[in-house]
Amino acid sequence: MTELVDRTDPMVEPDISIDVTPEANPTPPVRRSLPGLRTAGSMLGAFVVFGLLLLASGADPIAGYQAMWNSVTRDANSFGDVLVRLAPYLLAALAVVVPARAGLFNIGGEGQLLIGAVGAMAAANALGQALPRVPTLLMMALSAMVAGALWVGVSAWLRHATGTNETISTLLSNYLAFLLLGWLVFGRWKDPGATGFPRSRILEDGERLPMLWGRVHIGIIVAIAAAFAVWAILRWTPWGFKLGVLGGNPEAARRAGFRSSRLAASALMAGGALAGLGGMLQVTGVEGQLRPAMMSGYGFVGVLAAWMVRHHPLRAVASAALLAAIAVGGNGLKIRAGLSSASVNILMALLLLAVLGWGRQLNRKATT
Amino acid sequence: MIEAILVGAVRGGTSMVFAAVGETVTERSGVINLGVEGSMLTGALAAYAVGIETGNPWLGALAGLFAGLLLSLVHAFMVLTRKANQIATGLAITFLGLGVTSLYGQSYVSQGVVPFPSYAVPGLSDVPFVGPILFDHDPLTYLSFAIAPAAWWFLYRTGLGLRIRAAGERPEVLATMGTSPGRVRWIAVAIGGGLAGLGGAQLATAFARTWSEDMVAGRGFIAVALVIFAGWNPIVTVAGAYLFSGAVAFQLELQARGTDISLFLLDAIPYLAVLIVLAALSGRRRHSAPESLDKVFDAGGLPA
Repeated sequence: MTELVDRTDPMVEPDISIDVTPEANPTPPVRRSLPGLRTAGSMLGAFVVFGLLLLASGADPIAGYQAMWNSVTRDANSFGDVLVRLAPYLLAALAVVVPARAGLFNIGGEGQLLIGAVGAMAAANALGQALPRVPTLLMMALSAMVAGALWVGVSAWLRHATGTNETISTLLSNYLAFLLLGWLVFGRWKDPGATGFPRSRILEDGERLPMLWGRVHIGIIVAIAAAFAVWAILRWTPWGFKLGVLGGNPEAARRAGFRSSRLAASALMAGGALAGLGGMLQVTGVEGQLRPAMMSGYGFVGVLAAWMVRHHPLRAVASAALLAAIAVGGNGLKIRAGLSSASVNILMALLLLAVLGWGRQLNRKATT
Repeated sequence: MIEAILVGAVRGGTSMVFAAVGETVTERSGVINLGVEGSMLTGALAAYAVGIETGNPWLGALAGLFAGLLLSLVHAFMVLTRKANQIATGLAITFLGLGVTSLYGQSYVSQGVVPFPSYAVPGLSDVPFVGPILFDHDPLTYLSFAIAPAAWWFLYRTGLGLRIRAAGERPEVLATMGTSPGRVRWIAVAIGGGLAGLGGAQLATAFARTWSEDMVAGRGFIAVALVIFAGWNPIVTVAGAYLFSGAVAFQLELQARGTDISLFLLDAIPYLAVLIVLAALSGRRRHSAPESLDKVFDAGGLPA
């Protein structure tokens, strides 16, 4: 806010080696000790506040937490449910992480997940079980990633061509993705045999992900591998480095001769591809068919997961797992405590607010 | 048919008019609040619940206003006092609103409320065409007709409005004059949250006349998009809200008449319309953005 250097003054050649804006050089916090403890303490506060809100609604918070805990830790299957939920959450989070490195907000994960599922189904339909399982699944994944990338590519192009803010355009495109999926499953992809709500056809065995145990599919490993890949790519490749420069100091990026607009588009599209992969894993590993209400809210939870760890790709595994456990716990809250399962949205929101407001004081922005 | 569409535009657009005008005031101070969606939800539930308990829709509307305002204060506290990122906080606020209303609203699902009655303006409502569109509504809709001119007058003709705009453009000047930009922004966020809550109240007690989980269904997010679409001008914002709800009414009308076009493609019209107009105007809109708002979005400051 208190920018002292007038960058528009033609007489003053801005010195890019010293950036005096407070955003670029955050002063190290005085209390540097135990930043992790601070974050943990604030997150504990979120659990306390949620408990108080449960109490205010007339419910027993201890019983509520017990119900949530039990539904997560009951047996291998309930723990598996957390892992199953982790996969789309994590990929939706990574879809936020990569553009954030370049200083961009992608809040269209919700739609990109759906478009990924549509892309996977389109590939399966086109192949018509002509190939064995592994190549079929690889083609479906590829198609999903391309679909997700192209979908957000429209927002990237609008940003490049007209300067349309990507936050707003990705947000609006969520609704369009939902309607496109609805158009398909109520129309040309509608399963003629489906009773009740329209759905697409059910995927054949050769189009489904292999299972590890119970309901846990192999996509969990894919999602976690994707987190490592994103981490490595952002850390060690020139592309990752350039995104960091662009996000940290766009002026420096411009002076270094980076094609900023193209870089930004590539970051958004990489994010879209990751979310698209998430949609493919969900449709081939869990749903087995397309339906309009699938993955509702997953994209936004991904945004929460990414911000909770300040866009660190590996830590996003932990935040996505925590949010997945809370979401699964929400079912327990409904079944055992008779509370609405969407109540856990409160806990998710409070956890993010705790980190945003009371976590480490460094790196408040998307970029760093 | 045109009359039906316009009546539908006014009916369906009113809640967004309140929310979008409120968000205009908020953003003019340099704060963006994606929690408008959440404020509308809490406003809707509060109005509905108080309406049921007291039997008085006016008390309900008041409760809705305060509930939306209260939630927006959480946003203000987070971004102004704790300096948290505005976009992420706003989304969290919406999640908070979604969760809180789902927790406390469970017992109100599909209960009957005393709705806001429609008051036809004597004489005027009988005027052909114009009458049904403008003069046969619930009181909150009449109030919404006044809200945009009032916001314009507030922003451009009052001292506080000037301070709000100054906080959005040049907070350091405001600080030099001895006014805290932070305090002005608190007020602007509260106004935005209160109006969003009122919009939610209209939605639940006058338009839908029911409560269901997540009933706002993205209207708050659309309101935020409309503010940018309108170049931060409250009057144009209202036009945008009616354009959006008019597009919704248009596709409903087409559906009612039976058409071969898929209703999903028709449903996409309003969203596409906002996106296209937003893209078409973006080049010009950039310059009308409150300057300190730019810093919110340009976390990486990309020259587009």
